[in-house]
Amino acid sequence: MSPTRAPHAPARRPLPGWLLVLPAVLFLCAFFVLPLIGNAARSFEGADGGFTLLRYLVLLGDRFNLGVIAETVALSSVVTVICAVIGYPVAYYLVRHAGRFGGVIIFLLIAPLLTSIIMRTYGWQVLFARRGLVNNFLVQDLGLLDRPLQLLNTPGIAIVALVHVLVPYMVLSIATVLQGIDQRLEEGAQMLGASPWRTFREVTLPLSADGIGTGAILVFMIANGSFVTLVLLGGGFQTLPLLIYQQFTTTRDFGMASAMSVVLLVIALACLYLQLRLVRRQGV
Amino acid sequence: MAWLALTVFVIAFFGFILAPILVVVVISFTSAGYAAFPVPGWSLRWFWRIWDYAPFLDAMRTSVLVAVLATVLSCLLAVPAALWLARTRKGWANAVSTFLLSPLSMPMIVIGFSSLFFMTAVGIGISFPALVITHTVVCLPYVLRTVTAVYRSLPPAFEEAAAILGAGPLRTFREVTLPLIRPGIAAGALFSFLTSFDNLPVSFFFGSAQTNTLPVVMLSYIENQFDPSIAALSTLQLGLALICLLVADRVYGIRKMTVAA
Repeated sequence: MSPTRAPHAPARRPLPGWLLVLPAVLFLCAFFVLPLIGNAARSFEGADGGFTLLRYLVLLGDRFNLGVIAETVALSSVVTVICAVIGYPVAYYLVRHAGRFGGVIIFLLIAPLLTSIIMRTYGWQVLFARRGLVNNFLVQDLGLLDRPLQLLNTPGIAIVALVHVLVPYMVLSIATVLQGIDQRLEEGAQMLGASPWRTFREVTLPLSADGIGTGAILVFMIANGSFVTLVLLGGGFQTLPLLIYQQFTTTRDFGMASAMSVVLLVIALACLYLQLRLVRRQGV
Repeated sequence: MAWLALTVFVIAFFGFILAPILVVVVISFTSAGYAAFPVPGWSLRWFWRIWDYAPFLDAMRTSVLVAVLATVLSCLLAVPAALWLARTRKGWANAVSTFLLSPLSMPMIVIGFSSLFFMTAVGIGISFPALVITHTVVCLPYVLRTVTAVYRSLPPAFEEAAAILGAGPLRTFREVTLPLIRPGIAAGALFSFLTSFDNLPVSFFFGSAQTNTLPVVMLSYIENQFDPSIAALSTLQLGLALICLLVADRVYGIRKMTVAA
């Protein structure tokens, strides 16, 4: 007992501060963690109610299913690489050259995030339709082709649409890191005789690697879980989210869909782990 | 030379970013009965069509209600948590913060699918409350992130002064802390509202008469028909989002709202 407290006085110790965080933690435990645990449990539940690994044997031992997992990762990787390649110059421009247009550029970057996913895919469908803007331009205005191309339902358009939604995340991640680079390092390299290109390659680019890393993980993570774009734009992809969607709507094999969700979740957790390590390294 | 090439590239990039959005905005004002570009003439008929088609209006009402309730719930849960997380020096606070933000990193289709079965198992079922709760799981991290960032950027001196002058913890919160963190709450609530309003991967699993949200109804409409009423609805939705953003910017300033976010 503390010496200041008189025997009769009511115990008025201030409540511990961590009580403030308790409701949020309990809420997420109940409605986020428990459902995910239930989902994992369902994937291990046999037809007779016992334990089974059958679904994972099917999922990881079958040519088709392994192909689906590989395709999911491959699609996300391609989208991530394209985002990095086209996002870097934009981030560089935003930080080094935009000047008073910086606000406008950030607004234009956020604009796609304000539109609904339906709106964006609808726009791509109109643009890439058989008699759409892109085909008309290629056939009538440029005369490059003599008849319109089949653009809808090709893998290319799904990739274009995914890059379109995700590239702003990449640009903002890279710009944040570029902003923090001490420009005297670049000036020093140039004074010592390095060409602008060599300065960029050997000073700026390595220094901004963390920004590319943060952006890449973010883009990869979101691309991995996306399915609405692929449902609407087609392209013949067979990815995990699409298969979960199909299992739910048509096949109705919920156990299998659960097992696929667990695989998707494991990939997401791996990304989260990488992200935390990168953030921690930046913090030091 | 290099500078010119970079400028041209950036302009082309924003052409790419804006193209699908502008096309839809233009088509929503078409007088034609089909979605094609360029448009033959202008009219507002597709906006009127939204009013005539009951499922759109019902879904819009549901979507607004879900987004508002999920945002309020997110604020009630996330603001107190952010207050503690921003100031504590406890070692495990980082882990708690990571946990509370983790729904952002999980595939939404998995959250929606798992939640559907969980809600059914505990007896809440495919219902409006189930939808609000699941949306809150997805929205809470946005509020937590912005409020933590704004609160961390404030010196504790204001609250210390209030406490020294004799204000109790509740009064300090109401009269000092709350006004200071309001921009963070506004930004988080805005993100949360827009995220919920546009959410398809979670809402998709809770399809029923009282839980069909606007994106779900639009998805099933677009799968059967391709008329410009979807364009009109999308334009309306974009307009709403822009107005929210502009109002929030006028009141608090974008920069203040997104400190370190």
